[in-house]
Amino acid sequence: MTTNPDNQQQSFFLNMGPQHPSTHGVLRVLLEMDGEYVRDAEPVIGYGHRMQEKLGESRTWKGFMPYTARLDYIGALPCSHGFIGLIERMTGIEAPPRAEYIRVITSELNRIASHLLWLGAFLLDLGAFTPIMYTFDDREQILDILEDVTGSRLTYCYFRVGGVSRDIDEPFVEKTHAFIRRLRSRFKLYEDLVTGNIIFIKRVQDIVQFTPDMAMRYGVTGPILRSTGICYDIRKNEPYSVYPEFDFEIPVGETGDCLEVYRVRMREMEQSLRIIEQALDRLPQGPVLAKTPRQLKLPQGDASFAVETARGELSYYLISDGGETPYRLKIRTPSFSNLSLLSELTRNVLLSDLVMVLGTLDLVIPEIDR
Amino acid sequence: MNKTDHLINELGRLPAAVNRVDYRQQGYHLEARLQAGQVPAFAELLRQREFYLVFVSAVHVSPAIEIIYQFACFARPCRILARSTVAADGTLPSIANIFDGANWHERETRDMFGVVFTGHPGLELLLLPEEEADLKPLLKEEGALKPADQIRRAPDEEVQDTKPSTTAEPGAKEPKGEHRQ
Repeated sequence: MTTNPDNQQQSFFLNMGPQHPSTHGVLRVLLEMDGEYVRDAEPVIGYGHRMQEKLGESRTWKGFMPYTARLDYIGALPCSHGFIGLIERMTGIEAPPRAEYIRVITSELNRIASHLLWLGAFLLDLGAFTPIMYTFDDREQILDILEDVTGSRLTYCYFRVGGVSRDIDEPFVEKTHAFIRRLRSRFKLYEDLVTGNIIFIKRVQDIVQFTPDMAMRYGVTGPILRSTGICYDIRKNEPYSVYPEFDFEIPVGETGDCLEVYRVRMREMEQSLRIIEQALDRLPQGPVLAKTPRQLKLPQGDASFAVETARGELSYYLISDGGETPYRLKIRTPSFSNLSLLSELTRNVLLSDLVMVLGTLDLVIPEIDR
Repeated sequence: MNKTDHLINELGRLPAAVNRVDYRQQGYHLEARLQAGQVPAFAELLRQREFYLVFVSAVHVSPAIEIIYQFACFARPCRILARSTVAADGTLPSIANIFDGANWHERETRDMFGVVFTGHPGLELLLLPEEEADLKPLLKEEGALKPADQIRRAPDEEVQDTKPSTTAEPGAKEPKGEHRQ
């Protein structure tokens, strides 16, 4: 942390966190303050460090599967998708088409659930208490749907190498259709309640500026990157699973401020609904789990697999020495890179705006600490 | 893929050994092998060509720790994996002044492996607590440490633009077809 020696004003240090409601987890931000203004904000991370990468190389890849849901626990299925995709890429196993469709449907439901939680929590950070009641009501519907098929509500271990553990049934399809109708009708409500609200706009517009150059320097991905006008989504740019079969858009912003990030995320929910709708309509029949050998060794060598989670690019990099246990497993998480720009981003903003920026970043701390 | 060919030429002039790899099997497009001293020039070039840093990490192999960099590009699908071996004194030049995001990644790598990145603006602990500063948890123990050639893909599969090799690796199912990309 640096202090400008020419600065005649007296600055002081303020500790925000690690137990602070608006850091959304055990994150500490060391603030150098000048009155109400933030001169420097240095995130201090690692409070929830579980050494996930060491866990990854001290058990078989199968034993590591449940841990993938404990990175980004708000949107766990895309994280699992990445790890399973990596193992399938290394071993050459392919999942049946129906399984790939189910993976996409459940992943997108999970993405919407994550965005809904963000929406509620973000507005709560801004002092709007009511919206979280509505968004949690909607999110609850998704959790119910996913619970029926995966057996859990948050930390799913549903995807298997070669498919998924359980097939979806008719009630699942009906409930999901009902949810799509419901959420579409709710968008109007959110529009009236939040988007057009002048207090909300004044709180978030033009406070800080995300730029494409900043994104390149820090490796920022996800909705924050797309708010700056760069159309980059792993689902389109390096497509995986059956995403190329669906007609959907990548919402892109222009101005790169927090209001634009908000708009991008809101539009993304509609696009996820479109994907789910198409996938349900075209759901192929057939098995959901390919036959795989009981013991599956990973061939010697390395491979990488990137997926688009609700927060941006999650990428696994695995090095194998030919056994069942990875020799090295690197997990690159989006929030880690997205948070690292905080210090540069929030120079000379008000403390209450820093809280707003932290909310915009949509952090999941266990994903940063791993 | 003209732009990629152009990039390979540019990187080759550094000089860095760059190869195309099969994306369907490995999940990245280019593989580069660097001398420790070439790392900043390599990063500088990728910065100019509008790449972003995906991660910096390492793997402990004998005889020396390898540092791994992954870069990708917003404009087109081009993912690059670069490897470099740390110098005999356990150091490597930092790229944190080129890619600001490398700051945290290099600090994490120092936490886990004890690699010192020279020129880093503040190589402090990132994830580990102060009392565990010397833990270096990702270093392999004596028996588990493997030589570098035992974690490499069979060489005939790295050749560019050829079909995947038909020689099955021991104990592994032969990779077949593409995994829907």
